[in-house]
Parts: sequence; C-alpha cells; structure tokens
Amino acid sequence: MSASVRKRWRRTQVRVLSAILPPTSFVPGIDHERCSDFLARYRREVPFLMQLALNLSVLVFLFSPPLTGAGLRPALALSPVRLERHCAGLARHRIYHLRQATLMLKTVAGLVWGADPAVRDSLGLAPYAEDPRDRRRS
Amino acid sequence: MTRGEHLSFRTGADFELELDYVVVGSGPGGSAAASLLSRAGRTVALCEAGAWRDTPHMPASVFGALRDLFSDFGQLMARGRSMIPIVQASCVGGTGVINSAICVRTPESVLEGWGTDHGLGDFLTPAAVERAQTEIEAELDVAAMGDGQLGRHDRLLLEALAMTDREAHPTSRNARDCRGSGACLQGCPTGAKRSANLTWVPEVLTAGGCVLSCAPVARVVFEGERAVGVRGRFQNPDRTYRGPRGAAFRVRARRGVLVAGSATGSAPLLARSGVRLPALGKGFRAHPGSGVIGIYPERVDPLIGTTQGASSIHHSDDLGIKLESLTLPLDLLPGRLSGAGATLARSLAESSHMAMWVAAVNAEAQGSVRCARLPTFRGGPYGKNIVSYQPTKKDVARLRAGCATLARLHFEAGATRVLPGIHGVPVELDRDRVHLIEEAPLDNRAWTWILSHLFGTCALGDDPARSVVGPDLHVHGRRALHVVDASCLPTTLGVNPQHTIQAVARLTAERLANCEAA
Ligand SMILES: Cc1cc2nc3c(=O)[nH]c(=O)nc-3n(C[C@H](O)[C@H](O)[C@H](O)COP(=O)(O)OP(=O)(O)OC[C@H]3O[C@@H](n4cnc5c(N)ncnc54)[C@H](O)[C@@H]3O)c2cc1C
Ligand code: SF4
Repeated sequence: MSASVRKRWRRTQVRVLSAILPPTSFVPGIDHERCSDFLARYRREVPFLMQLALNLSVLVFLFSPPLTGAGLRPALALSPVRLERHCAGLARHRIYHLRQATLMLKTVAGLVWGADPAVRDSLGLAPYAEDPRDRRRS
Repeated sequence: MTRGEHLSFRTGADFELELDYVVVGSGPGGSAAASLLSRAGRTVALCEAGAWRDTPHMPASVFGALRDLFSDFGQLMARGRSMIPIVQASCVGGTGVINSAICVRTPESVLEGWGTDHGLGDFLTPAAVERAQTEIEAELDVAAMGDGQLGRHDRLLLEALAMTDREAHPTSRNARDCRGSGACLQGCPTGAKRSANLTWVPEVLTAGGCVLSCAPVARVVFEGERAVGVRGRFQNPDRTYRGPRGAAFRVRARRGVLVAGSATGSAPLLARSGVRLPALGKGFRAHPGSGVIGIYPERVDPLIGTTQGASSIHHSDDLGIKLESLTLPLDLLPGRLSGAGATLARSLAESSHMAMWVAAVNAEAQGSVRCARLPTFRGGPYGKNIVSYQPTKKDVARLRAGCATLARLHFEAGATRVLPGIHGVPVELDRDRVHLIEEAPLDNRAWTWILSHLFGTCALGDDPARSVVGPDLHVHGRRALHVVDASCLPTTLGVNPQHTIQAVARLTAERLANCEAA
C-alpha cells in the first residue's frame, strides 16, 4: 500500500471510530490526532489477524448502510442523522457477524478514548502514566 | 551460564543446560511447583514464553497490557456458535499477573467428586489440600479485603446481598496491602498483588535455579518413554523487533519435566511433542461469565477500590453461579456497553455513576483445544492453538438467571437503571422491566461472554480413556512427564481457580521430591 493510500485509509478509520464514539456535551469523543497516532501504533504492534479484523470491520461499517436501512450510500457519506441510525442499527443487527464487527470497532475506539487524558479528566480520572514498555533483561 | 541466572531474549549461538527439573510455564501452577522443588534442594529451570516484568515495568493503559502482558494480544477466542474471548497472560507469573488476586479454598464437594469419579482420593485428600492452601496463604499475603480497600461498587453489592438475606463476603486476595487502584488487569502498579513474578519465581533464582523468559518451549524431548528435557527458541516480545532471530535453547532435565502452560497451552505442547492419548486436549471447561451494569444517582467511581472486592456464593448450588463485583478499565467499557454512536456516548458519559457486577457460571459445557495447522504471524504460543467451546442452553439459562438476579440487586442497592448488554433486550431497563432479562434468548450469540477461569485438557484421573495424567502423577504411558496447571483439573470448581491450581501443583511437586528422597 502506498503512503498516500495508507494515509487516506487511516483518515477513514479515524472517521469511522469517531462515528462509533462521538462526543457528547459531557465527555469528548475520539480525538482525531490521537486516534491517528494510535492507529499507526496499532498497525506496527498488533498481530496480523487483529489488523485484518479492524480493517474488515471498517469496511463492513462503510458499506453496510443498506442493511441497516440507513440509505444506499457509504456510511461516511450519510447525513449525521442517518449515520447515527446506521451506528445504532449495526450494533443491534440480527446478523451476528455484523454485531461482531461493531464490537471490534467499539473495542478499538475504547482503547483510544479511554486512554485520552482529556476524556479521563472530564470523568474525574487521573491520566495514565506512560507505558514503560520495559522488562527484566538479566 | 551460571546457576541462579535469568536468561532473557538473546540471539547468537544455541545453548544447552542441564538441571534436575524443567518447568514449562510460570503461572500459578508452574511457579508453585518450581518453588517447592527448589526448596526441596532440586535445581529447576523455569521456561516462560513471555517476558519478565517487575512492578515498575507494568503498563498503565489497556493497550499496553494487551501488548506487554497478554497472551498474543488477547486475540484468542473460543470458537463455537459464538466467538468468546479467552483472557490469558503470557509473562513471568502467567495469568496471575493480570488476575484479580482472589483466593478461594477448594470446595470439599469438589475434592470428594475427584476422589470418587477420578480416583484422586489418595492424592488430593481434604487435609493435604488444606495444609497446602494454608501455607500458600501465609506466603502470598492472602487477606480478606478491609473496608478501606473496597470500592463503592463493592460495598453496594455487599449491601444489596445483605438486604436480600444472601450470603456476601469481601474477597480474600493475595494482596493484603492492596491500595485499591483497580488496575489488576494491567498488572499491579503498586506491587501489592503477590503474583509469582514477585514471589515464587525470584525464589527459584535465589535457590540456584534458572529462569528463561521470552522462551517458548516448542517441544518436550523424550528418550524412549522418558521425558528428558525441552527445546525451543527465544522470541523477542517486541513485535516491532526486526533483528536476528532468537537463539535456540535446549534444557536437559535429569529428573523430570513439569508442564504448566495453562488449560489452552499444555495440551497442544504435549501433542506437538508426540504424546497421543484419547483425552489429550479434550474436556476443556470454564466458568464463562457476563455482567450487568447498574446506574446510580450518585457517583460510584468504579475505578476506585480493589478490582473485585465483593463476592457471593449464595447461588452456587441452586443456580450454579458465583456473583462478584468487577472494575472494568475505562478503555474496555465501550466494548462492554450496548449500542454505538450517540447511544454509546450517552452511556459512557455516565461511567462514574456505574457499578458492574458479574455472574460466573459453573458451566457444564465441554470443549477442546488443539494445535492449529496454519502458523500465526509472529504469534505467541496460544496464537497457534484453537479452542472449540460453546456454552450449552443450560449454561445460558444459568447466566440469564444470574443476570436477572444481579439486575434486581442493583435496584435494591439504589440503581435507577441497569444496562444488561444482551442482544434482543433494550439497552437500558428500569425496575419494572427486569423480567425482560428472564425472557432473553437462550442463544449464546445474544450474550457478551468472557472466559477467564479455564480447566481441563490434560486431566488427572485413573482412567486413561478419560484422563492424561495418572494418579501416579506421570502422563499415561510416559515417565518423568507431569502436568501442574489448570489443565490437570478434571472438572470446574465453581470458585476462583488459582488457589486450587497452586495447591495441586505444590502437592505434585512435594510428591515428586518425596518419592526421590525415599
Ligand atoms: C482477568 C482475569 C482475572 C482472574 N481473576 C482470578 C482471581 O481473582 N482468582 C483466581 O483464582 N483466578 C483468577 N483468574 C484465573 C487464574 O488467573 C487462572 O486460572 C490461573 O492463572 C491459571 O494458572 P495456570 O498456571 O494454569 O496458567 P497461566 O496462569 O495462564 O500460566 C501459563 C503460563 O505458561 C506460559 N506458557 C504457555 N505455553 C508455554 C510454552 N510452550 N513455553 C513456555 N511457556 C509457556 C504462558 O506464557 C503463561 O505465562 C483470573 C483470570 C483472568 C484472565
Ligand atoms: S487493585 Fe490495584 S493495588 Fe490492589 S492488587 Fe489490584 S492493581 Fe494492585
């Protein structure tokens, strides 16, 4: 995948995760910049099957609006109201694998969102310390 | 190399060492056996697939924990009609590093059943197990959690249970000095949790043994029927590492090999090593669980307090479930809540008013574990294993009854709404609609399960058709090959397993040491 295609794909991933976990007046949603950095780390560090699962879930999200009655266009081209209907419909769809795809997106969105200092602050939680990423070597 | 050395990932020349025993896997089972053998004066090599992380190395975020502590990034799933995540660690100390530290003694009824149905009455007598567990409790600082350590979500559960005349108790945990950071899943940032990476594994080193970390064992090596060692290759735990591959190692065991790679890891290792027994990899069992979240008018602050401070065995006999409180890190909460988009965000905004309580089912379902034929991409030992398992209708019915009970308890404790997280049931329920949980589908795809208490696949027993390890503690048909982890437990327990695993491992090691002495 070329760098520009990869960049575009990452932007799409970020927008999908933001749709899954949007901001409310009480807590922030997904921070796009943090999310993009996180996805770069995710790509580098997680096993291939988990990357595949995320990418497939994003594709499912993008192209399944006809199955949720939200419209015929790809999810990110829907109006905000229809996009919301699509999110809700996918999360409670009768097809198990569609629900599983949403679960995958919610899980990844949660990893970004729950570690965001702004989110934690809004909920009265201390920010996470940096992961030391070290081990006993001898 | 010298005795008392820790060998971590290395490249370069292959090497070989020889000691009395090799133990594969350093979770509660492997570490309990290794420390006992060391105390008996035997030299022990402890081979662990994961890295050794001390308290300052513990990750803070869940992503860090998945990467640094979990087995293969937590991607192992039980496959059946539904996909159920299996949570296990791969690090020195095993799953004991990420668990909630609850220690429960083995119920006598379980030992009785193992005596009559599996021929283990002479080995696992109630007196022997009690003695072992008393010693372990003293060594690992096991204590009931005090009021100051409990979180509000724990206290609410205890109050609701008391109000409804149900049995209730603060949990006993190997974390006497727990500071209630609620971060057990990320290892313990304070060192209060006395998992084996901080206790029994260093003891093996001090006694002159060797610890090999980042050292997945590929095969047990045999001479004839006798296990004489293991071999493998160091693996760098950093997935971004692109340097030369790890050195191959071979550890010769003069006296025996003890396998403790967990309920999903031991059977595939034995199978890869050429052990062929009808019961190998079969009889995989679990306590699958799920939770109900209550929303309270006042703040609950669920991330403050011990990870799991309250528990009840009130429904162990009639419903086959155990009830517990649980702290779920914020990073994992979206995956647990129903809905997506604005519905999900609205629920999350109330997270500081939530208490999560879980029901763990003493399930009757049985599954299996086997090696995958396809290699995984830089996967750990579990990534190459396939678990097939599916809760039965009866198990789902038990969970359903458990979740309905939890929902009612939430309302007793003052919750205004509950979030059951069941497909086909509304996202939120008020008190008048709890009956909808009782009417929820019995299809296990409707439920959000998780598997963390695992059993079997190398069961102990006297019948070679149904077991893998005989009452003489050798794998059937082999010499000097033993299994000392959750995989050797022939049934579920109905209570948290680590204490039983430790006791069985320790009694096995004691028997081995005594037999040789005799
Ligand atoms: C989130 C969570 C919370 C829990 N809370 C509790 C609790 O509060 N109380 C309780 O009693 N139980 C609890 N449990 C369960 C308990 O932790 C496990 O039952 C227990 O750790 C199992 O011990 P084990 O020795 O069989 O395997 P594990 O602890 O899984 O250890 C096996 C080790 O072997 C290593 N290994 C596997 N294959 C190889 C190989 N080929 N070569 C080298 N090494 C290998 C693995 O890397 C791993 O480190 C919890 C579990 C989870 C996931
Ligand atoms: S709750 Fe916190 S301090 Fe207590 S044992 Fe768990 S991680 Fe350690």
